[in-house]
Amino acid sequence: MTGRGSAILDAMIGFIPIIATIALWQAVVMAGVAPPALLPAPGTVFARFLQQIVSPAYLEHAYITLYRLFFGFAIAVAAGIAFGILMTGSQAVAAIVRPLVRVLAPVPKIALYPAFTLTLGYDDASKIALVIADALFPILLSTYQGASAVEPKLAWSARAMGLSPLKTLFRVVLPAAMPSVLTGCRIGLIISCIVVFLAEMIPSTDGLGHLLMRAARNFQTVDMFVPLITISILGLLLNAGFNALRRHLLRGFAEEK
Amino acid sequence: MTAEAVRPVERAEAPWWSSAGAIPGLPPILACLGLLVIWELLSRWYDLAGLPPPTSALPQIPGILTDKEALIDIADSLRRMATGFALALAFAVPVGLAMGRSRHVAAFFNPLLMVIYPVPKAALMPIIMLWLGVGDASKTLVIFLGVTLPLIYHSYQGSRAVEEKLLWSAAAMGLTPSARLVRIVLPAALPEILVGCRTGLVLALITMVTSEMIARQTGIGNIIFVSLDLGVYDRVYAMIVIIGVLGFVLDMIFEYLRHRLVAWAEPSQSIVVGTA
Repeated sequence: MTGRGSAILDAMIGFIPIIATIALWQAVVMAGVAPPALLPAPGTVFARFLQQIVSPAYLEHAYITLYRLFFGFAIAVAAGIAFGILMTGSQAVAAIVRPLVRVLAPVPKIALYPAFTLTLGYDDASKIALVIADALFPILLSTYQGASAVEPKLAWSARAMGLSPLKTLFRVVLPAAMPSVLTGCRIGLIISCIVVFLAEMIPSTDGLGHLLMRAARNFQTVDMFVPLITISILGLLLNAGFNALRRHLLRGFAEEK
Repeated sequence: MTAEAVRPVERAEAPWWSSAGAIPGLPPILACLGLLVIWELLSRWYDLAGLPPPTSALPQIPGILTDKEALIDIADSLRRMATGFALALAFAVPVGLAMGRSRHVAAFFNPLLMVIYPVPKAALMPIIMLWLGVGDASKTLVIFLGVTLPLIYHSYQGSRAVEEKLLWSAAAMGLTPSARLVRIVLPAALPEILVGCRTGLVLALITMVTSEMIARQTGIGNIIFVSLDLGVYDRVYAMIVIIGVLGFVLDMIFEYLRHRLVAWAEPSQSIVVGTA
């Protein structure tokens, strides 16, 4: 098996289940097993998707979703990296943060959402708070794990050259822990994407998740698929974009792609 | 998290609080107390109807836990979660193991999994409700979908990393390929599969709560939102605490089981997080 030929073969094999799923979907519709009100044809759904994706009203909702996603994700990244790095550098911070993480990480954050809506209202703030609560822990934990595994000699050398402890943490330990930090950020990004959508599905007035629930209430089945496809494609694109950024940031690391 | 985390910046001597960390179970308890104090202070500071102090929310918990209807709701939720999780385990582990042992099987499933990965599984609830109704079937299916992907992924990683020599030795001793899968690959991949199970457990809890928030009929999520609509905020917060404790306790039980099962393998990660 030569490398190139088998890679193409693998790619072709990979398309089989995706095409088969769409074909099965089409077949179920054509066989009339499910009425179109319950399962619209894939062609109808994609046509509607293309029509919606250029409509300003739809884009307005998508924009609101993206705004909440990135606002929350940015805060989670800043806080997660800062605490993760400080935990490695200071026993005092670690002694306080570690038990808090131990208690809070396994809690399903979505259960906090009613509390967020009661205290922060039904607008952006409660949804952003939920994104932060969900994205924070994977970023914090992988930063901490990555920073804990950094070769101590690197930090000692930096200290010997006169860098302050805080500068050592952020200018030597953090870059050295970058692969692990970015893995955490990538998980956090996908989580943010999913959570912001869920938050918009429970009481809400705008955003893609709200569009799904509105369509569900009005039994517009086609319109229920469109926000779902949008958020999934958004997730794929964000993931691909993040991987490109990751390759750029990690170009000095030999073993990381 | 290992206790011997590398400290890049050396410390003069162990401070007083590090001795408190030596007593097992004390730091998490202190963390809980700290959270309660912050909650109390916040509720006094803001004085919102939507943020009752813990002193009025926590006394609701015994009432909920002795209320027959609430207990039925909680039992319903747990039953759906267990069913969805068990089904996902039965489906995902064989698929993941097969993917790890055969390049073609991996090539077959990988792109499909990549496409499904960013779909919010709990958001499929409204569509699945159209097909299967609001009952147990649709909620269990959503939990199944939410748990399957991490389980497949970790089983795949685990079986891919199995030492080839183990398989050669087994083959030399005359084990058939299917026997090798059950008797060599499965035990060798078990630690990694259990990491997937732990992520899956958190995910099952999240999808369970979310599905019940969307299809309000029975269950834990239903109690929260009915209380929210009635404006009984004490009860909302009491339920949040109950769900949080549930998550923590399930995680602890799982850790104990994992320790018993695969004590021979290093824990790769002591805290796992995930989402729907």
